[in-house]
Amino acid sequence: MSDAALLQEAIRVLFVVIIITAAYIISTRNLLSLVSAYALQSLTLVLIALSLWMIEGAPVLLAIAGISLITKTLVIPYFIANVQEKIRIKRDIEFHFLNPTTSLLLSMAIILVVYIALSHIMQGTEARESLFFFGAVLGISLMMMGMMVTFSRKRAITKVLGYLTMENGVLLFGLFVTELPFIIEFLIIIDLIILVILTTILTIGLDSTLEDYHKRLHRFHLVEETEEGP
Amino acid sequence: MILLALLFCLVLALILIAISHTAWQMNNVCIVLGGTYAAVAGFILMFMPLPVTTFLVASQYFFIDHLGIYEVLISAVIFTLAAVYARGYVDNLLESGELNKGSLKLFYGAWVLLLTVITLAFFADNLALFWILAELTTIISAMLVAILYARENIDAALKYIFIASVSMLFAFVGLIFLFETSRTVLGEGTLNWTVLMQHAPQLPAGMVVASCALIFVGFAAKSGIFPFHTWLPEAHAKAPSAVSAILSGVLLNVGIYGIIRVFAIAHQTPAARALSGILMLLGILTIAIAAFSMLPQKNLKKMVAFSSVENMGILLVGIAVATPLAIFWVIFHIMAHAFTKASLFLSAGILHRQYRSHLSADAPDDIVDVFRFQPLAAWGLIIGGLAITGTPLFPVFLSKLFILIELGAVSLYLVGLVLVLLFIATCALGYFVIINFTRVTPTGQAPEVTPYATPLTMQGPVVLLLVLVLVLGVAFTTGEVSFLNQIVAELRF
Repeated sequence: MSDAALLQEAIRVLFVVIIITAAYIISTRNLLSLVSAYALQSLTLVLIALSLWMIEGAPVLLAIAGISLITKTLVIPYFIANVQEKIRIKRDIEFHFLNPTTSLLLSMAIILVVYIALSHIMQGTEARESLFFFGAVLGISLMMMGMMVTFSRKRAITKVLGYLTMENGVLLFGLFVTELPFIIEFLIIIDLIILVILTTILTIGLDSTLEDYHKRLHRFHLVEETEEGP
Repeated sequence: MILLALLFCLVLALILIAISHTAWQMNNVCIVLGGTYAAVAGFILMFMPLPVTTFLVASQYFFIDHLGIYEVLISAVIFTLAAVYARGYVDNLLESGELNKGSLKLFYGAWVLLLTVITLAFFADNLALFWILAELTTIISAMLVAILYARENIDAALKYIFIASVSMLFAFVGLIFLFETSRTVLGEGTLNWTVLMQHAPQLPAGMVVASCALIFVGFAAKSGIFPFHTWLPEAHAKAPSAVSAILSGVLLNVGIYGIIRVFAIAHQTPAARALSGILMLLGILTIAIAAFSMLPQKNLKKMVAFSSVENMGILLVGIAVATPLAIFWVIFHIMAHAFTKASLFLSAGILHRQYRSHLSADAPDDIVDVFRFQPLAAWGLIIGGLAITGTPLFPVFLSKLFILIELGAVSLYLVGLVLVLLFIATCALGYFVIINFTRVTPTGQAPEVTPYATPLTMQGPVVLLLVLVLVLGVAFTTGEVSFLNQIVAELRF
């Protein structure tokens, strides 16, 4: 069926888009474009889910696409952008351990290693030739890249975006396992939303209101003895 | 039925907390809810034939077997006692301005939510459902850590969330692998624990190793296993002590429980050997890291927290040995450790109220004249310390001894190594207690600290837990033995 073949080609193109957004998330210093890159990545996932739905017809995929569209491309990015405005941080220029160039090289290595490892594991099975294989490779690589962001950035808000990227990787991986019960995916999204809300609220406490903290600490008589405070 | 009853209790408790005005009213709700859960768990344990599979709306997702009800009973008891303790503790937090009055509802709301989510997690039959509930426990408990609204608490909570959640995502990928594996074998994919257990011997070993290793990453981080243990001392030391007791006594069990369940599946496949090796290595490394971190420790709560890490390592070693007897004692050790550690954290909390440093939670504790100011907490720590290091008459002694004996069947060198490490940990704890508890103000000088009048509600739980621990160590009934044997039989070891 040429239609399915076309869709499969489309999915391959979307895979490339995902890699580009991941590379952007790893390397950019501008927080605002970080959020847009994340939203774009989520949108790509939605498109992949839709294409898969058109090929396989499983209603679960449509539901996942819908719920991802609402939460991941609209609600969560909006929420984080809002928080960023509040805490008035535009750039995250501090990196632990890794600078962007090394991270990019490392992520290329990760994709390669995951590709080789997975083709070993799936050797001979029919899954090896299908889109599932590429989905698995990219999903796991995306997770690793997200983890790199989580542990190499200093600001909590960037860490949150790293975590979200990881979760996108899991979703990408999960999309190709279509039988996974929908309720599970749904609950994961709920979990994600709570996590984002909580961490961002904590981040507000951590990143922005330094003066408030000083006031609080003075009220508790905590900084009388120390000069530098927190 | 029971699921609905649990949810009804939760909603009722949340509403009551929302409409109550004083801290004590909210606290009463927490105590009553904990007591109710404990009573229900006790009732099910005594009077209902286990495993219960038909009692819930969607029976594929929940069930009650011996291990589940056992863990729920432990959790409910600790939650109840910690809630009693929290009454006095929270009063003092409010007085000293460490806790905002506006956060009270959030604190107690999160408390009842955490209790219910943990109970549901132990009743979950579907592994993915268990994963989500475990992940929720991370988030809710992190909220309880961050409640004090000091910068370092938020730091600790964020560290906890990021390490635990990132690792748990790996566990989820492992679950997807497991799902795919079961689909290739059974035709239809499932993550139902009971179904997987029935068909476990047919699962291909290679895929089981890959999926279980990934799942272990997640649950190891939940229970503070090396190399994911770094969040644990921070979070446990900085949380309010009533919360520390729960984190250590109950939440660490969630991770170990997950590992036991998944390993029970893997144990029936040829993959067991490889996975045992991984668990053994991680277990011994965990004990080693904990022991050496305890040595230079000057902060009491961190010391106790590292002792939890050490005990998690012992549990992991026991699981890796995987003989029926070893699993029997692992299950027993879970209970022994939970109660002992809860009592230790509650005692440490009293000392923390008395001697806490105003500079930072990381600062060394400045303990003087401890027997004059806080004799009960001091004795609680000494007895609890003796109990946790495995002195005879206490339950930890039995479980440590038998786990080590079973380990001896694997390798005597490993027994020697673990013994040395346990000895180091014991020395560290003993040294800390001797140095700090013998420090007195010279006669003639007025002591600098004002004594903290420990309320009865804070002393009661410590005494009760210690009595409970002692009873568990001395009296070992046949009913208990047969119950634990049933758990081991259900896990098919």
